Amino acid sequence: MSGRGTRHTAVTGLGVVAPNGLDADTYWKSVKEGASVLDRITREGCEHLPLRVAGEVRGFDPSALIEETFLVQTDKFTHFALAAADAALQDAGLSSSAADSPYSVGVVTAAGSGGGEFGQRELQKLWGQGSRFVGPYQSIAWFYAASTGQISIRKGFKGPCGVVASDEAGGLDAVAHAARAVHRGTEVVVVGAAEAPLAPYSGVCQLGYPELSTEADPDRAYRPFTAAACGFVPAEGGAVLVVEDLERARRRDAFVRATVAGHAATFTGASRWDRSREGLAHAIRGALDEAGCAPEEIDVVFADAMGIPEADRAEALALADALGPHGTRVPVTAPKTGIGRSYCGAPLLDIVAAVQAMEHGQIPPTPGVFDICHDIDLVTARPRPAELRTALVLSRGLMGSNAALVLRRGPGPAR
Amino acid sequence: MTTDVTEVTVEELAALMKKAAGVTVDPQELERRVDTPFGEFGLDSLGLLGIVGELENRHGRALPTDAERCKSPRAFLDLVNGALTTGA
Repeated sequence: MSGRGTRHTAVTGLGVVAPNGLDADTYWKSVKEGASVLDRITREGCEHLPLRVAGEVRGFDPSALIEETFLVQTDKFTHFALAAADAALQDAGLSSSAADSPYSVGVVTAAGSGGGEFGQRELQKLWGQGSRFVGPYQSIAWFYAASTGQISIRKGFKGPCGVVASDEAGGLDAVAHAARAVHRGTEVVVVGAAEAPLAPYSGVCQLGYPELSTEADPDRAYRPFTAAACGFVPAEGGAVLVVEDLERARRRDAFVRATVAGHAATFTGASRWDRSREGLAHAIRGALDEAGCAPEEIDVVFADAMGIPEADRAEALALADALGPHGTRVPVTAPKTGIGRSYCGAPLLDIVAAVQAMEHGQIPPTPGVFDICHDIDLVTARPRPAELRTALVLSRGLMGSNAALVLRRGPGPAR
Repeated sequence: MTTDVTEVTVEELAALMKKAAGVTVDPQELERRVDTPFGEFGLDSLGLLGIVGELENRHGRALPTDAERCKSPRAFLDLVNGALTTGA
């Protein structure tokens, strides 16, 4: 990934399953317009929870996209990942190329909560009927590794596989992990994260997070960087990318949509938002260093935007710490205020937005957010046209992980 | 072959393959290909384990541990029906 190295990692495919769109183009259209799809949670069994607003993926029909043999043994979070992986491979023009060289394609996903809905169903059988009524697929469906395993099995990929479980920011770490696999010689890596945390069991697990927004009004539930910040709204969905060696992508005349230029991650402790300032700044410096990128080269920042005043302040200050005076001038955005945070899926969706923002020369706004109370140039209300060559994507997790990823605009279709 | 009511038929096995593992197979085809390995129908070992568990619950008794290791529909039905019709 080093900007000084000879090998670069190309992003050649994007696949999205998000609350505001079941494909990358629909997602981008909604993100660019600054639409918000946050709504009252409607999932069965969740109505009585103090968690009132969420970003639900609606209208997703897994049976139209995935074979029944895979559906019966997987949770919704894997259904999202399988669908997004298909879309990313198709976007990359690699839908059917694994058969001739299966060991050249690897799979990496990040996961933060696993298959809660599947797990709850089987655990209810355990306590309601007894252990003999628990299906054997419980042994694989709810684990963090399920999506990586099922993508690779379904597509016949036999290259290096991995699962990154490093909190929400692990979504960015997974992309870095994939880029390292490409550097080590794997031709293509399918990398991403999708989550499905809106089942009753999963919902209850999140209630202990002090950062969770319990506001019942969708317009007020997730407003980072404002005095009204009251936490974050959880969401379903995520995104999958196809990354590959840049030279290989050029040889096969692929459309290089972006390149992964630099990444770094730090850890500063659960809910220690004051400390995340230093951790995030250190991650930004590390990512810039790896990318060989000066602070002034960053044209847009996709913020973590936790929505907790202390966390928002730490992020704004981290930008100033790491980017200097440029930190208060660079446009910052957080499209996730319109869709919620799908945990590890959230930074992947931000990457997809960043790639498309660079392609279209448009910085998407931060839906529902105005009256910024921090010293950053947050893009609000409407998209802002800009020449975008380099994007910085930031992510933090509730358990204390911080990560930064630098993306460069792709050269576009092969010359 | 015995006509004991507890016997598992090819039709029932086909329905179980669908229910437990999402494998769609026509009972007549399953009958024709009764020596074909389960894997060729798309049934993996966890799927067969699920079928064994379902049958154990339906019949209220344990099946031989070898049941989940059977390679073909015929081997599976022979073993399971042998156990169901002879075991008390």
